[in-house]
Amino acid sequence: MSAIEEAGHLPGLPAETVGRRVVEYGAWGETVAVALPSLSGDQAKVLCGHIRTRARETLRRMPTARIVAAIDRASAGLLDRAHPLRRKAEALLPVVTGYDRETVRLGLTSTLKTFRQPQLLRFLAEDFSNPGVLDGFQPAVKGGLVRAKGPDLLLHVWAGNVPALALWSLVAGLLVKAGTLGKLATAEPLTAGWFAQAIAEADPELGDCLAVTWWKGGAGGVEAACLMQADCVMAYGGDETLADLRAKVPVGTRFLPHGHRIGFAMIAREALDSRRAGPLARLAAHDVVRYEQQGCYAPQMLFVERSGAVAPLEFARHLAYELAAMASRHPRRRLDPAESAGIAAWRSAHEMRALDGSATLLGDPADPWSVVHLDSAASLSPSGLNRTLAVVAVDDLAEVPALVAPHRAFLQTAGIAAAPARLLRLADDLAAAGVTRIAAIGRMTAPEAGWHHDGRFSLLDLVTLTEIEASAEAAAEGFAPYAD
Amino acid sequence: MSQAEIVDALLDFIGRPGATEDAFEALALRLFAYQFRNNAPYRRFAQARGRTPLTVRRWRDIPAVPIKAFKDLTLSCCPPDAAERVFMTSGTTGAGRGRSYHPTLAVYDRSMLTGFAARIMRGRARIRMGILFPDEAVLPNSSLAHYLALAKDHFGTPDSAVFVGPSGLDLDALLSALAEAEASGEPYALLGATYAFVPVMDALAAQGRRFALPAGSFLFDTGGFKGQSREIEPDAFYDGLSQAFGVPRAACLNMYGMTELSTQFYDDGNAVCPPVKSGPHWIRSRVVDPLTGADLPEGETGVLVHHDLAHFNSVSAILTEDAGVIVPGGFRLLGRVEGSASRGCSVAVAEFLAAAQG
Repeated sequence: MSAIEEAGHLPGLPAETVGRRVVEYGAWGETVAVALPSLSGDQAKVLCGHIRTRARETLRRMPTARIVAAIDRASAGLLDRAHPLRRKAEALLPVVTGYDRETVRLGLTSTLKTFRQPQLLRFLAEDFSNPGVLDGFQPAVKGGLVRAKGPDLLLHVWAGNVPALALWSLVAGLLVKAGTLGKLATAEPLTAGWFAQAIAEADPELGDCLAVTWWKGGAGGVEAACLMQADCVMAYGGDETLADLRAKVPVGTRFLPHGHRIGFAMIAREALDSRRAGPLARLAAHDVVRYEQQGCYAPQMLFVERSGAVAPLEFARHLAYELAAMASRHPRRRLDPAESAGIAAWRSAHEMRALDGSATLLGDPADPWSVVHLDSAASLSPSGLNRTLAVVAVDDLAEVPALVAPHRAFLQTAGIAAAPARLLRLADDLAAAGVTRIAAIGRMTAPEAGWHHDGRFSLLDLVTLTEIEASAEAAAEGFAPYAD
Repeated sequence: MSQAEIVDALLDFIGRPGATEDAFEALALRLFAYQFRNNAPYRRFAQARGRTPLTVRRWRDIPAVPIKAFKDLTLSCCPPDAAERVFMTSGTTGAGRGRSYHPTLAVYDRSMLTGFAARIMRGRARIRMGILFPDEAVLPNSSLAHYLALAKDHFGTPDSAVFVGPSGLDLDALLSALAEAEASGEPYALLGATYAFVPVMDALAAQGRRFALPAGSFLFDTGGFKGQSREIEPDAFYDGLSQAFGVPRAACLNMYGMTELSTQFYDDGNAVCPPVKSGPHWIRSRVVDPLTGADLPEGETGVLVHHDLAHFNSVSAILTEDAGVIVPGGFRLLGRVEGSASRGCSVAVAEFLAAAQG
């Protein structure tokens, strides 16, 4: 790949004035050069001002239906494998992120499918009993009228290399008519910019209310300027990054952090018969392989109940078999030394336990996956990532909420395979422990349209309500020309 | 082979500086057979990797135990309570303390004295020493306390002294010893834990004081900062030492050792960091891929494995957590190997632990 891909979407700034920093990415024997935008502090202020003005002047008056239609058209374009942007995405993202081509292709499709018109309407319906409040005053249940307004300038600080992850918050912002400024993650600096371009193509006026740029996180005047200007900051990253950002955000600015999370899964004895165990292991392997456990929803530990027809150790072997089989269709990219060291440390800790028989390590160190079976209940802990996980045998899944509860701050997704009555009972205890999303095994890495990320309201958290109280409405009647 | 035969063979080997690669390999394989037979956890570990005395033909194939294992397992060929001495790690890095059992200190002491004479004393018989580390009475399970006691007893002049007692550093006594040495014109050696030098440098800076130790003096640090003092970058640290004591950086020697070994590595001064480290003929090092344990080509950065014949009672092959690269004449130490953060939004081990301790 010899051409340099220009990242971002910068309406209101003449292209020739935008500085660029070229970063090289390499995987699968190829390299890609990406020119990230590198603005000056003044340009950042101009950009913020432009977005804010467009949001006030045009976005506010744009019907939600028109925004939905534009996002739908942009998603449709990117779902079309013949579309130039989609072809670029399939060619470049595997090299930039290191995920294999199939994973990228399937992941893009699955994410974009959730941003079609019916799904977008579902997003709106999830958070607003009457989405009309976004377009104008609507009757309130308690009396009076209410209207919801998104921030004039919403800043997204994205992180991580999971392709298209930024689109979730980007779309949420647009649905509430937020003037949008996104900061690209260095590890995946492309999809958000392409999506913004597709929006601009579908509806140039909407595209003018949306900018996507980059700066080096943690330093510099651009970050400070954007954090000062924004009305609301939605930030992704580790605890350290979030604490650093929070400290720089003015007191009156709404700050919505999404930290790193750890996922886990639970398999009940009723799911462990000889007919179901194999397919279930394949689905679990899918959750592990997709995005190499880098996503917050991916399982790092699997709790498996004893006394099913298939024992936990046997299930661990099924899982190992499926991971080995998947490695040929979805090869794992070459790990860097720190990633290898992470896996080595995780493996060697379990290897020591294996010596006294309390653990069984499956897979050779040279295999592109590792499964360890732990014979006694263990509290939740991270794996070595990149296709490594522990299968923990428990007598009863009811023990699991207590094993994960100490790590409340990191909880989010739990995958569950259990009969309906138990699903509800377990979900109740998991909710109390801090779990916010329960998914089927095999769907852990693909949240459904309208999901509430980290248990928060994706749209409601962004808006501010203006209420006309019943008294004002009634008093107005007194001043009407037709008043008695 | 009995323990007595192993000890004799090792003392003999340490005394033969010209020993060849073949001789090292032969003794390494004999020791592996001995440790495999007498050290049950190590035997299970080796069997799990399919490495037994019957299948292993080269010293490089002898399985290396991760250093963490010394915390979880009792790795000893002799019954643990038959050990003359147990050295323990300081326990500053994570839970549990790694233990090394020594049924006799004859081999440890010979290894230490031979290495120290060759690399630190370099033909000199004795030198006046100041020690910046508690003595063996205070820290009976510290291999470094024992090491420094050997250095002082065998290579120190009678007026050598320990300046760290149960109540901490005796700065006044140290400063007057340094002043005496400066005035006498006789070379002086200040030895201790890396972190112990930091408060001394700080105190000198606060008093606006500097020493100019006589030519032939040297400084000796080991072990890093371990959270016991603030961390200082190596170049700044050796610049600071050199300025405070008037000793060139080439005479600032660093020893790289660990509780889980019976032999130490040295450099030839820290004029340039990181310096080349090397050990004597009874210890060899490899740089491996941490995951597979396979040797990496020379010049590639990986994780260090040390194969120390003198660590006969426990396990001779240790997989460290230190990053390194093999270079002509030895290896360069490149800091600790840390697992990386995730590239996405999942929690990796480091952040998880930080929160758990937080």
